[in-house]
Amino acid sequence: MFKVDIKKELGILPRSIWAFHCNSGSCNGCDIEIVALLTPRYDIERFGMKLVGTPRHADALLVTGPVTKYMTDRLRRIYAQMPNPKVVIVVGNCGASGDVFYKSYNLDGPVDQILPVDVYVHGCPPRPEAIIDGVAKAILKLEEKREELLKTGGATNA
Amino acid sequence: MTIGTVYTGFGFWNVYAWMMFFALGALIVLCIRSTGRSDYEKGTYQDEVFYGGNPVPQNGQDLAVPASSSYWGFTKAIASFYNLLVGVHTGILSDYMGLLIATAAVISILILL
Repeated sequence: MFKVDIKKELGILPRSIWAFHCNSGSCNGCDIEIVALLTPRYDIERFGMKLVGTPRHADALLVTGPVTKYMTDRLRRIYAQMPNPKVVIVVGNCGASGDVFYKSYNLDGPVDQILPVDVYVHGCPPRPEAIIDGVAKAILKLEEKREELLKTGGATNA
Repeated sequence: MTIGTVYTGFGFWNVYAWMMFFALGALIVLCIRSTGRSDYEKGTYQDEVFYGGNPVPQNGQDLAVPASSSYWGFTKAIASFYNLLVGVHTGILSDYMGLLIATAAVISILILL
């Protein structure tokens, strides 16, 4: 019989993950899939996960798009405004590799050229289930970072 | 000078009651505030206002939204009439007096006819 140690599962999370979404030049396909997470079909808010309107409230940064030159500084600033610990989740092929925009004259990306990426969710666009899976993986990385912060007394180099 | 209670017919106002409710309100606000995050690093971007990822303008006027923005569509829709009105408002008193006399004359003619 499949048995889940719920105490252990819940013990991972001091609280649910909140994400801020930044479109760094996406075609909007991935953004639509992120918004689909909020619909009754996927309903990520049942896990307490939600999209927030400011990076200052966020634990995770969802980045879509291959990062155009115009967005580079803004993306860096948004990341810098997030409190520690924080994770970056790249949603879609464009943010991961540039995809069809690879080596375009107008790109500074992909995202890992700008920010330290923790989780990649591939797809063009990725299915909402894949994004949920990516966020679940990000929770584990976030927890690792939180423990590291506790060990170092809050000192970071982020 | 004595500090009394003011009865208004709808209730009363008393400085001690007011102070008590103020203190109660402040306590509730502080309780809510204490639940917020306090681990933002001072002097970094984490401590700065979020302005859509853009640098925060140092001049306050750049952050302000003029009141005319709220009726921008209205003035755009009737731009020809609006421009006429703006043109008429020259700020010169003699122009306004002329308009007043002209309007009064037109109304007088309409009434007399």
